[in-house]
Amino acid sequence: MFGFLFGKKKSASVAKDRLTIAIMSDRDRTNGYPFMDEMKAEIMAVVQKYIGVKEVQIRKEVDGNMEALAIDVELDKGV
Amino acid sequence: MGIVIAVISGKGGVGKTTATANLGLGIALNDKKCVVVDFDIGQRNLDMILGLENRVVYDIVQVMDGEANLKQALIKSKVNDNLHFLAASQTKDKSVLESTKVEKLIAELKESFDFVILDAPAGIESGYEHTIEFADAAIIIVNPEVSSIRDADRAIGILDSKSAKVKAGEDVAKYLIINRIVADMVESGEMLKSDDILEILNIKLLGKVPEDKGVIDASNQGKPVILDKKSIAGQAYKRITGRLCGEKVDMKDIEVSDAGLFKRLTGMFR
Repeated sequence: MFGFLFGKKKSASVAKDRLTIAIMSDRDRTNGYPFMDEMKAEIMAVVQKYIGVKEVQIRKEVDGNMEALAIDVELDKGV
Repeated sequence: MGIVIAVISGKGGVGKTTATANLGLGIALNDKKCVVVDFDIGQRNLDMILGLENRVVYDIVQVMDGEANLKQALIKSKVNDNLHFLAASQTKDKSVLESTKVEKLIAELKESFDFVILDAPAGIESGYEHTIEFADAAIIIVNPEVSSIRDADRAIGILDSKSAKVKAGEDVAKYLIINRIVADMVESGEMLKSDDILEILNIKLLGKVPEDKGVIDASNQGKPVILDKKSIAGQAYKRITGRLCGEKVDMKDIEVSDAGLFKRLTGMFR
């Protein structure tokens, strides 16, 4: 019925592609560590002692065997 | 000392409680002592699937609160002496569960049963977390359908962060059951193949269960479908529980319809 939208692609392979992307982004957002929020707040408090902070973002990055934490501290320009 | 297995799904309505009942009875039919526990506090259903709703006197919350002892609350199956059942509370809500009490109850159950099977509530809230916290392994039930698979992945993510075993640096074993497979839809490319689902979720396959009208017929009667020798879903649960009990059971290809099989067979003679 929706052949004109997806070319000749069968709906199961459309489902696979969509799921792969949706699940990857779900995992990025959620599969950090359970203590992520707490750690974020503490980092924020430490930096805040010296300079104004707008937001702290922590991501877990996995590259092959190496796991790293990427921490972005966005400064509050108004301060 | 028994093994504790949580049956989880993330999404509701995929056949989790049906699976729990059939896994429990199948294990019992393999001569292992098994208890199935309904952790879906406030939405008791496992009792109906097992046909034991009239025998419930005490529930899991009363046991955890010390209002009844375990012996009083355990209900023996009508069809197999190896299978016991512990009902969820129908009146309280999920927030009554407390980690320390859950841990104590599970420890007690492990003493007297080879298998302790916990039927998790749908969703990924506190009731779910309490179900998985002290489990040694999890069986994830999915349907070959996008929302079920996505929700299962979230449930697995929470299992990987909240399980006591994982926190202690150990692994929690995870196995997948794909439920409600329709062979001719898989053949025509309208339903996800099991290989694709395994690739997306990245876990091991325990078994595949075909769509079968017999499942509703069985739940109507309160007799798990594994008792129905003609049912294709029942046969699938037989194979799955054989595997769980250490038997080597080949993975039957239920993703081929009779018509597809006929094509393959006739193709051989061409």
